[in-house]
Amino acid sequence: MSADAHDSHDAEPGHGPTKATFVTVFLVLTFLTVVEVMVPQVYSAEWNKNTKMILLVTLAVGKAILVASYFMHLKWEARWIRWIAAMPVYMGLFAILLMCEQAWRNGIS
Amino acid sequence: MDASHSAPIDERLQDERFGKATGGKVGMWIFIAQDGMAFGGLLLAYALLRIFSADWPVPADILGIGLTATATFILICSSVTMVMAVDASQHSQKGRTAFWLSGTILGGLLFLGIQVYEYTHLSHAGITLATSSFEFTEGVVTNVNDLFGSTFYVVTGFHGMHVTAGVIYLICILIGTLKGKYTKGGNSASPVELVGLFWHFVDLVWILVFTFIYLL
Repeated sequence: MSADAHDSHDAEPGHGPTKATFVTVFLVLTFLTVVEVMVPQVYSAEWNKNTKMILLVTLAVGKAILVASYFMHLKWEARWIRWIAAMPVYMGLFAILLMCEQAWRNGIS
Repeated sequence: MDASHSAPIDERLQDERFGKATGGKVGMWIFIAQDGMAFGGLLLAYALLRIFSADWPVPADILGIGLTATATFILICSSVTMVMAVDASQHSQKGRTAFWLSGTILGGLLFLGIQVYEYTHLSHAGITLATSSFEFTEGVVTNVNDLFGSTFYVVTGFHGMHVTAGVIYLICILIGTLKGKYTKGGNSASPVELVGLFWHFVDLVWILVFTFIYLL
């Protein structure tokens, strides 16, 4: 089998993102960034800071997933590469576990 | 004879079961994963220091959100130019590859320029690596938690170093592209794809840094 046939499968028609996909993702990312900048202004009061935090974290994680899936081609990669890419997520889960434990010790509900 | 035929490890990695990944791609993904954990550690430290500090200021009162949002937009644009460069190199289009790579480098340099401007402005306003005081109202300087400046510069500085490394990496790939090394077809486009992975990772991390350091 020639090396040319091994050329990145992303470039093969119908097996990866098209330029239209990239432009769509770019527009979605731009829109979400505008929303992100507006969120702290809309939810600036102390009493709704939790809503602000949940919205901002959700938007950031959503944008990060879009970049990883489409720009970094993870959507079209083999499952084992996705597992490697997900390694920092395990760390995030560990961090959440630590924070829950800390909150429990401090009696924060 | 193609280089991939004299490299058995690459042939094994191109097996369907391995997702046709080259050795370079596997290496870059492992690097990205560990680098992601380094950023995760810094952001976790930032979160814990902030949670347990009483006099932590609202970042938006000190940092320029509009300017940083512009820098974020520039970085997103540079990610688009990067995917266009990868696409062009995979289609053996030397001129287009060089054009889009140049656009990506320009985006990176603009981002760094904004960061230098921001650092200069903040240090003059009293936010330094060791101390944090800020003039919230004219003539009244308020001391805020010193860790605000420390964590801000460490996290954004670590990211800025990645952008700098990315720009240097991109310039090296651009030189190779102009010499025609990465547009010969086959696996020759692989180095452009790898620099693309690194650049998108830098963009992805900034999305999280922008939210956690500037907006929250």
